[in-house]
Amino acid sequence: MFKTIVIKEIRDITKSKKFLMSFPAAALLIILSFYVGGRWFQLNQHRYEAALAGNLRQMEGITDWIMVKHHIFLPPQPLAALVNGVDNDIGRNIEMFGQGELESGDSRFSDDPVFAMFRFLDIEFIFSVVLALFAIMFGYNAVNGEKETGTLRLVFANAVPKEQFILGKMTGVLLTVIIPLLLPILAGCLILMLMRIPMTADDWIRLSLIVTAGILYFSVFLLLSIFLSAVTRSSSTSFLFALLVWIFATLIIPRVAVLLAGRAANVPAVDEIAAQKFSFRSQLWAEDVQKMNRFTPPRTGNPREMMDAFQRFMGDLSRKRNEKIMAYAKRLNEERRNLQNLQETTAFSISRISPASNFSLAAMHLAGTSIELKQHFLDEAMSYQQSYAKFLSAKTGGLLPGSGMVFRLIEEDDEEPETINPHELPVFEYKPATLSALLDYAFFDLAMLVLFNLIFFAGGYAAFLRYDVR
Amino acid sequence: MKNSEQSLSHPEKFKVDTSVMLEALDLSKRYEDGVLALDRLNLQVRSGQIFAMLGANGAGKTTTINLFLNYIDPTGGEARVNGITTHKNPLQAKSNLSYVSENVTLYPNFTALQNMDFFARIAGKNGLSYADYAEILNRVGLQTEAHHKKLKDFSKGMRQKCGIAIAIIKDAPAVLLDEPTAGLDPQAGREFIDLLSRLREEGKAVLMSTHDIFRAREIADEIGIMSAGRLVLQAGKDELAGEDLEKLYMEYMSGSKQN
Repeated sequence: MFKTIVIKEIRDITKSKKFLMSFPAAALLIILSFYVGGRWFQLNQHRYEAALAGNLRQMEGITDWIMVKHHIFLPPQPLAALVNGVDNDIGRNIEMFGQGELESGDSRFSDDPVFAMFRFLDIEFIFSVVLALFAIMFGYNAVNGEKETGTLRLVFANAVPKEQFILGKMTGVLLTVIIPLLLPILAGCLILMLMRIPMTADDWIRLSLIVTAGILYFSVFLLLSIFLSAVTRSSSTSFLFALLVWIFATLIIPRVAVLLAGRAANVPAVDEIAAQKFSFRSQLWAEDVQKMNRFTPPRTGNPREMMDAFQRFMGDLSRKRNEKIMAYAKRLNEERRNLQNLQETTAFSISRISPASNFSLAAMHLAGTSIELKQHFLDEAMSYQQSYAKFLSAKTGGLLPGSGMVFRLIEEDDEEPETINPHELPVFEYKPATLSALLDYAFFDLAMLVLFNLIFFAGGYAAFLRYDVR
Repeated sequence: MKNSEQSLSHPEKFKVDTSVMLEALDLSKRYEDGVLALDRLNLQVRSGQIFAMLGANGAGKTTTINLFLNYIDPTGGEARVNGITTHKNPLQAKSNLSYVSENVTLYPNFTALQNMDFFARIAGKNGLSYADYAEILNRVGLQTEAHHKKLKDFSKGMRQKCGIAIAIIKDAPAVLLDEPTAGLDPQAGREFIDLLSRLREEGKAVLMSTHDIFRAREIADEIGIMSAGRLVLQAGKDELAGEDLEKLYMEYMSGSKQN
């Protein structure tokens, strides 16, 4: 009986006009999202390589490492092109200093604001917006539609157990709609391979987990629609309810969550923090200027000795000032970060009542483009800063540009100073977050999607057992 | 001619008569809104017999069929199919029933043969081939070229034939027909009456609700008139031979004649 009902559902859906019209459209969008993602990655890879070359080129001809303006860049990640997340919003460029605070700048959206307006056609968008509607379309009249046409009455004139009918129906609908969606996804993977996108084994695992999250999200809306079709009399009512849930889940709840979180934790603006730092720095500088005015060099008569003493004095001042600035900045940053964490936790906790948020968060975490990306890039940059500082210190005899002024005595002689070799710079090797770390982040949202599936499955099942089939 | 108002609980009434396929015993249904849709109905339909229930809308005909199909539970009495109480053993009772609704609405995206296949399988007839289905569709008068057409392209008469074919393929001993001739053209109506005769010849017990007095008189062995949830008149074909059934029906409907 179960098998008969499953086969009937598969036949019924695949022969319907809505399937024949909407499936090719959905398949095309999925394939397009993979292709666009692949092209976007290639373009970004090209930009990244150009930026690296440009960074080295601008150092050509420089004769002193002190004068170097070195930049590091966030390398494009293949999965970030498929699930954009915050990848295009965060700064991809950090000017490196031997000491002091680092800040990222030049996000893609700041370079190309048109993309910020319309965003990208990535997999996350396709699933959360397009395929959720696709799911609603195939589930909203699963039960009440059959009642409206009268087939339910005829079916239950036979010895058909209600349990088997609803289980067969749910299985049939899920199989018929989900399996064909896997085909364009597989085609998309093939496109990535043909485009020679450098996907690692970890990337493939993460992509398959993103697809799994997408399928779970899709089945949430499918089961929700079936549930609604089993608790409402007419299919137009269930369609309306399903659409309302979709609007709330996708558009309203995440935004309301952010608004409420903003009220729960008042995070000071970055400009405010920067002003405080600047004020503190100015205050320290004013104090140091007074100390400089009081400085008297040793009266040896040797300008080099005098300069070295001044240099030591200035280096000492700079180091102490920098330590104070760093400590102060660290405290301000930590305070802001703590408030920001509270705000994010509040926003995520509220928004997680929406399966759309669960899917978006899980997909972004797995793709490595979640809100943690900015901090991860900064952490990686700070880690690089240590090796850069070591390198620079060795090249400049202990001088580290980054905070305050550096004075050097330039002696004029006949020898032409040698230019630096930028290729000697330590290479910044960005390490994306590990798979296990990303899985830890995504686990809760994946579990929530499973939970939503179970709730709507149980709801639909229980509702149908009490359903009036007349 | 007999009045159907019966006493409520004679123990002998509950003995199973093997030739009685459909039986209502003090069958009552009061809906949640308080409406008494069926009031202590007693009727029997034997194998090889056609029982026509006449009555206006709301008389209780469809409620009776819904109770036999266990779409709803009775608030009193019992509906039995082949001796099985429907609300106690619904699945077992339904395996002895075929049903044709007023508006046969099968799966519109399936062909006639695919619909036959699905309904045969859920009726427990798994070993049948498409040739078997085609034979039955031919038998009910559905032309061969229509067998592979989707149901959404069928006329009401063609759908009705499909519905009968589905009822035939189940081969259940009892058949319930809810307004089966409503909306059929005279030719289709005629063919339908012929099909019913064949069902009777095959020994099926047929309970049919209808507004169509003339067809009821033509085909039914037993006729019941229902009004306000009660069977106000039950008579055999012979008993009604000299009667003007239309006049009788109108009298009961207008209330000028009461049981």
